[in-house]
Amino acid sequence: MTKLENVTKYMMALLTALVVTTLYAPIALTIFFSFYKTRKGKVNWDSFSYEPYTKLIFEKQILESLLNSLYVGGVTVITSVAIGFFFANYYHTSKGKMKEVLQFIIFLPFLLPPIITGLSLLIFFREINLPRSLNTVVIGHTIFVLAIVFKIILNKLETLKPSLMESAYDLGASKLQAFWYVLLPNIKLSLIIAGLLAFTISLDETLITLFLIGNDTTWPIKLWAKMRVGFSKQVNASVTLILILTSALVLLIATIISRSEKKIMY
Amino acid sequence: MKSIINYFNTSIWTIISFLLVIVLILIPLASFLSYSFFTVEGVEIIHQFSLINYKEFFIDEIYINTFVRTIFLALFVMFCCILLGYPVAYFLARYAGKYKYAILLILIIPLFMSYIIKIYMMRSILGYSGLINKILKMLGIIEKPLEFFLWNQNSVIITLVIILLPLIIIPTFTSLDKIPSNIIEASFDLGCKPFQAFRHVIFPIGFPGLVVGGIFVFILALGDFVTPQLVGGTSGFTYGKIIYSNFGMAFNWPFGAALASILLFVSVFIISLTNYLTKKKS
Repeated sequence: MTKLENVTKYMMALLTALVVTTLYAPIALTIFFSFYKTRKGKVNWDSFSYEPYTKLIFEKQILESLLNSLYVGGVTVITSVAIGFFFANYYHTSKGKMKEVLQFIIFLPFLLPPIITGLSLLIFFREINLPRSLNTVVIGHTIFVLAIVFKIILNKLETLKPSLMESAYDLGASKLQAFWYVLLPNIKLSLIIAGLLAFTISLDETLITLFLIGNDTTWPIKLWAKMRVGFSKQVNASVTLILILTSALVLLIATIISRSEKKIMY
Repeated sequence: MKSIINYFNTSIWTIISFLLVIVLILIPLASFLSYSFFTVEGVEIIHQFSLINYKEFFIDEIYINTFVRTIFLALFVMFCCILLGYPVAYFLARYAGKYKYAILLILIIPLFMSYIIKIYMMRSILGYSGLINKILKMLGIIEKPLEFFLWNQNSVIITLVIILLPLIIIPTFTSLDKIPSNIIEASFDLGCKPFQAFRHVIFPIGFPGLVVGGIFVFILALGDFVTPQLVGGTSGFTYGKIIYSNFGMAFNWPFGAALASILLFVSVFIISLTNYLTKKKS
């Protein structure tokens, strides 16, 4: 390694550290403010307390919005994985040119600005007289995450040998049996990864949700509404808890991926 | 007999798949596009073809100006993300060794962390009595707090860069990580200087990832309406915010739809252009 390369290497390491710090700064501040009080821009270092966390139980609105978010996330996982598997299977087995068209359409809501997905569904629901509710939010989230779910499952299907299903049929398995006993165990991990990812994205989705939400709000929308009056410490506490949940989910996804990669290698 | 059942099955699957995407994606898009040709009277939407919304976009300077300004803003955000994100991805792929995936994960996690909160907290960082001003004051660089960080375009740009930065790093890292180190060594053995090796070997291989990330950042920055709403103040409004306001207080859905259609056309044009360019290259 030349001296110049060494210098650039350390410069880049420094930049990486700086980027990590910057990305985490807003998050770290939220966690900090959930424990400490500030007065006139000065931090009161003696004010450490985890009371906001215990008080959270009495914040009915926040808890309700959290439950709504969990509901939307849960249903989105089921619908997106089911439809995503369906499309991936169709794309994988069909030979026509139409499947490329299908893939293109599935990717549209993911590639276009979220504002367009949101308002086109809003207009569509108005035209068919479907009132806005948590379920319309589920539809929005489902078509938004569908492309990712589809791609993850398709990637897994493409690693399977065609002989796998053929031998199942040769041994007399019915379509349902071949699916249940042969295909499903083989693609199980990709379904789990896709589902976890869909849940994590749904939990924080804001731009599409703002258009589709009815009277029941999800958690990010509740935050958006609360922001105008300023955050209480309980809100910061709820943010911290959700941050822990999302980090745990992402770590879980990463662990599953790295484990399954090792399995293939050995 | 079996083949008939099979044929029947596959065509059923095909029909169901297409019905699903048509109902969930294409019809909503079509109804949104057709709305852009309607007009509004009070709270009633008049379902009659008219070009008046598009006419208004081209006649009233404020819309075109905002649109052009937002495009430049999104380009600038993309440029900043590349400037910061590329060296980081490069560092991870080439020098971080066994820690590269761990550091990548650390960089990915903020992407899934509350979007609204990150924007909101930027106020406490950029504001008059915010973190940056405090640090600068502590270091003795400034005497009076700086005001140009918050409630203008600067704050929108800084916030968007912080939110979207991981989107550049991930795909760039993925394509740079594919380069086997022996290719780089070979180029050195053949007498390449470090910069030449970068210019002719490493950069072209990492380019597709950079393009994918860049497009994502650009499109998302272009359509964002929450960031300008929360940190943009009065001078930091963007095109997305104008669209959103037509669906809220202003209740002029057809006009909002027309503005969004223009955004849609530009997005589709840019996506297909880059798709074409990167395909041609490979």
